Amino acid sequence: MALLEIKGLTKNFGGLRAVDSLDIRIEEGEILGIIGPNGAGKTTVFNLITGVFSPDEGRIVFEGHEITGLSPQKVCHKGIARTFQLIKPFGDMTTLENVMIGAFCRAEKLSTAMMESEKIIDFAGLSLKRNFLAKNLTIGDRKRLELARALATQPKILLLDEVMAGLNPKETIEAIQLINQIQSRGMTLLVIEHVMRAIMSLSSRIVMLNYGKKIAEGNPKEISSDEKVIKAYLGERYDQARNERS
Amino acid sequence: MTLHVKRWAKSPNFPFYCFVLSLFFVPLFLQDPYFIHQLIFICLFAYLSASWNIIGGYAGQTSLGHSAFVGIGAYVSTLLFINLGLTPWVGMFAGGLAATLVSLIIGFPAFRLTGPYFALTTIAFCEILRLWVTDTETLLGISLKGARGILLPIKGHSPYDFQFVDKVYYYYIILMMMVLILYVCYKIENSKMGYYLRAIKGNQEAARSLGVEVTQYKLLAFAISAFFTGMGGVFYAQMVLFIIPERILGLDISIELALITIIGGRGTLFGPIFGAFLLRPLSEITAAYFGGTYLGVHLILYGVLLMVSILFIPKGMTELFNRLYLKLIRSL
Amino acid sequence: MDSLVTGIRMQIYLQAILNGILIGSIYGSVTLGLSLIFGVMKIINFAHGSVLMLGMFATYWIWIFTKIDPLVSAIFVVPLLFGIGYYIQSFFLNPLFRRESAEVVEPISALLLTAGLSLAIDNLSLLFFKSDYRTIQTFYTTSTVHVGGFTLSVPRLLVLGASILIYLCLLWIIRRSRLGRAIRATSQDRDAAALQGINIYKIYNFTFAIGSATLGLAGAFLMPYFYVHPSVGVVFTIKAFIVVVLGGMGSITGAVFGGLIVGMIESVGSLFVSTTTTDLLVFLIFIFVLLFKPSGLMGEE
Repeated sequence: MALLEIKGLTKNFGGLRAVDSLDIRIEEGEILGIIGPNGAGKTTVFNLITGVFSPDEGRIVFEGHEITGLSPQKVCHKGIARTFQLIKPFGDMTTLENVMIGAFCRAEKLSTAMMESEKIIDFAGLSLKRNFLAKNLTIGDRKRLELARALATQPKILLLDEVMAGLNPKETIEAIQLINQIQSRGMTLLVIEHVMRAIMSLSSRIVMLNYGKKIAEGNPKEISSDEKVIKAYLGERYDQARNERS
Repeated sequence: MTLHVKRWAKSPNFPFYCFVLSLFFVPLFLQDPYFIHQLIFICLFAYLSASWNIIGGYAGQTSLGHSAFVGIGAYVSTLLFINLGLTPWVGMFAGGLAATLVSLIIGFPAFRLTGPYFALTTIAFCEILRLWVTDTETLLGISLKGARGILLPIKGHSPYDFQFVDKVYYYYIILMMMVLILYVCYKIENSKMGYYLRAIKGNQEAARSLGVEVTQYKLLAFAISAFFTGMGGVFYAQMVLFIIPERILGLDISIELALITIIGGRGTLFGPIFGAFLLRPLSEITAAYFGGTYLGVHLILYGVLLMVSILFIPKGMTELFNRLYLKLIRSL
Repeated sequence: MDSLVTGIRMQIYLQAILNGILIGSIYGSVTLGLSLIFGVMKIINFAHGSVLMLGMFATYWIWIFTKIDPLVSAIFVVPLLFGIGYYIQSFFLNPLFRRESAEVVEPISALLLTAGLSLAIDNLSLLFFKSDYRTIQTFYTTSTVHVGGFTLSVPRLLVLGASILIYLCLLWIIRRSRLGRAIRATSQDRDAAALQGINIYKIYNFTFAIGSATLGLAGAFLMPYFYVHPSVGVVFTIKAFIVVVLGGMGSITGAVFGGLIVGMIESVGSLFVSTTTTDLLVFLIFIFVLLFKPSGLMGEE
């Protein structure tokens, strides 16, 4: 049984169909990459899974239980955590306090939350900055914070929305390492990414969306040679040129 | 032993703790009834502002209708006293509970809105209450006296009826209430609730994604705030022995509580205390200086200080003081 | 006999409706400027009523010292309030907006800032102008016209005229002028406008100035029959916000409709219940609209 299953998911905004009869399965322990041009509906899928929006049609099943339409808070408690494309740190709180908010999802006492948070901050490489106000962190550290905070909720599946955006090459490599470490601890990940290098190296499987529909699915090798993928990203004429050359 | 004392003396709030402690000894040195009377009102507004701080400061939801809770507390307790002879000591709890109930009625719809729209809604709710009471002579046979207000029967020195001739009694009661609300805020600050409220203040969407039941916590903070505010309303009624909707359900009190806390420091433990002790004496001094002809001169100051606060000192005066104190400690 | 009573009742209702339109136009005239300010800068301007009060006082003092009719003195009061509004935005509010681009500034800050400003202005006025209620008596203050059996107060008709004038002026400025185009661009997408070379802070200044200038016209036309007192500001501010919400925040046409609604409720309502109750009703409707139909009647413009 898949850890997370999306069946026939559809969402309209006014006249625009953002997500169209989407079917995706995510197996436990894998990293599933989601790629696609801007506006393909990737973040909307995240929002639907995490309960920010309710789907117009379709179901979302997590660990065999129906979670369609649950509020974001309840979805988090069930074990699905996410980061945001436009990161949302609690600016006037310290790194530690930020992560503690995540930890309080599973803890009641201040001391427990603090202890758990310290561990996660260590893991995320933010220990030196634990008492920095979130608004004073660099962009790279803020992304780590967003990640650490979500991790603190002890999720079973982590949804990362373009974590690499805005990172320099060194930071990108660190991010990839961190994500791999998270996976090796048994986490399942769903990753939206534009940075091709990163997603190709991280994912065991990749799904490509365009206009809200799934247009390709497979392992990184299959995807990188898939005609539809190339067409969507690089355009018709590149694809033609490629075919003519071969 | 000396090292231990030194450590918590380094806490930035240490001078404020000392200040509050010193308030207990004031009547030993100053017995002028006028002075004590002024102090009582400063402490009352400090207490009310500290109650406001729970929702307006820690949770960051600016209520501008808190006067409703002051008034509800006052009216409920007073009516129970006049009609059923219930001692205002119990009336305090009744008033607080009534205010809590109303806060939930207001909160459920109002918390669907944020920021300034929430503020406007609270103003509207409070005005509705004030207008309704103003227009109502009797309700279910109970005399509300509407716009004329209710005079409490004077019992002289009667502890059972929560009335005293010597103001010093009131002074110590309000001091105890101040300590109580400080304790409540301290406990909230250092609890899951406190952290959650700050997250809500920071970014509600992010908070939800981390499992925070935002609306529930907002309602909880609102309810706690309303309860203690209501109790403060009862104290006011017992001090002044006269309640009238224009004053006790009026926008003025709502704004003053918010103002005091914002200038003093929202979401800080001593912000409301500091704010009250800064602003209220200022208003007394300006009133005395300009005489009775120019009412509201202190409001000019309030307005200016509010603007200065928003523009230059958004964290409030206590934060400045904290930093000064820490600098002082380090240089020693 | 019955039909006579019904006839009289109809007469009373219709008169109330007509009065409602007139009262509504008062509220509309004051709110138009607020709608503009809100529509462009998305802030709750609590100082709106205070600026109106200043305009009314200016009209009053001009009349006291020069005997110039209030309607004529609008020529002076409108630019005066334009300047005051420009100054308020550039000195008090723009610093707040500038900070917003650097760090997150909560929208409530603008409300509180303008609330502080209104406190200061209102009470400074109390200090300097004292606490008397002042009125201007012109030759037409008590005039009425009789139209089709109904009595209409001339000063109120003039206010109706003023509100129409303000409405048309604003519409022209927003829709036809270059400034209006810049204002619309800024209100739709601040960053995009900035990238196009629009100095958004200057636009804010002009917006607030125009919004305040409308108060000059409204205030001058109000003086012939209303009174002025430093406390007049708060009442109008709250009323104006109710009208903005009812009519649709940011919609200038909505302000007119919102004003009419409030005017009707007050006028027709007063036939049945006390003023306190009509005020209460207005607040109730205000809450309802905020909660269930936040776009008001007309929505965004």
